[in-house]
Amino acid sequence: MTHQTHAYHMVNPSPWPLTGALSALLMTSGLTMWFHFNSGTLLTLGLLTNSLTMYQWWRDVVRESTFQGHHTAVVQTGLRYGMILFIMSEVFFFAGFFWAFYHSSLAPTPNLGGYWPPAGINPLNPMEVPLLNTLVLLASGVSITWAHHSLMEGNRKHSLQALLITISLGIYFTLLQTSEYFEASFTISDGIYGSTFFVATGFHGLHVMIGSTFLTICFLRQLKFHFTSKHHFGFEAAAWYWHFVDVVWLFLYISIYWWGS
Amino acid sequence: MYYKFSGFTQKLAGTWASDAYIPQGLKPVVSTEAPPIIFATPTKLASDSTAYDYAGKNKVPELQKFFQKSDGVPIHLKRGLPDQMLYRTTMALTVGGTIYCLIALYMASQPKNK
Repeated sequence: MTHQTHAYHMVNPSPWPLTGALSALLMTSGLTMWFHFNSGTLLTLGLLTNSLTMYQWWRDVVRESTFQGHHTAVVQTGLRYGMILFIMSEVFFFAGFFWAFYHSSLAPTPNLGGYWPPAGINPLNPMEVPLLNTLVLLASGVSITWAHHSLMEGNRKHSLQALLITISLGIYFTLLQTSEYFEASFTISDGIYGSTFFVATGFHGLHVMIGSTFLTICFLRQLKFHFTSKHHFGFEAAAWYWHFVDVVWLFLYISIYWWGS
Repeated sequence: MYYKFSGFTQKLAGTWASDAYIPQGLKPVVSTEAPPIIFATPTKLASDSTAYDYAGKNKVPELQKFFQKSDGVPIHLKRGLPDQMLYRTTMALTVGGTIYCLIALYMASQPKNK
């Protein structure tokens, strides 16, 4: 008799934590090689092995849950805690950049002219594309909620439609923001304004891309009938992450775009 | 005996009939039969959705049978050859890359001779 008598998940031995850690080494030293020696090989290798690790690790999680049924209620509770703690760590990550922004903008130094935005900086008009971006993300919050309710009600067509709308809005945001980056009259090297603006909005944009990717995976899984109306934690995790991305944007918009202009 | 579901511990906990009390009378005892698994009953079909083919049939039940085969193969290799190929490629690139990285770092740490 070899089956377990508890509801927890004892995972098979896996090589992905090792390849993931090594890929992190390759990415970081790859960045060094790129910055200092103009060589992109290591960085490319690092990004490639990182992507391969992520693909196979999460493929295995889908196999363990949807196909093998290991995600019991108590396992799912653990996953919920995990996702919430991860998102909280991301909140603190962004808090650092907001701290930097407020540190510099609340007490602008004499070499900035003693005011904010600093001398010579022409900030973007918050009532133009940034406002559109805000509406786009808010609308995507509505559509993802619609997707969730459709999923819970077993409405396949609507859940797929709503997910597609959410992903499209995410891509639209990314495209709009990219064009804003080209249109801006200032760059990242334009003093502390440029640094705080592009680092904070840049990391946010990266998170929008990550969130859109996560939602796309959910869309494909829903196409393949992986989710049930009662059990779809992957989707819920993506939705939490997406709402987090939306909230960070709202803080960015109010602080940097609006108050900071 | 009445039971309530604790959303926090995700378990059933015994409780008194008073918890099931509503002014119209006691709530009917819920059947203890397990509900049919979700895939056993088809999802709601709108009348026009039968015209669409949403990326093929539902292959999950057969995939469930396939991945639950008791062959002792770990999950990351369970599909056989494609899994093996991808694993070997990933490992080769990662380990090879690490060796290359160590060599590059060693060389970068050598002082530049004027």
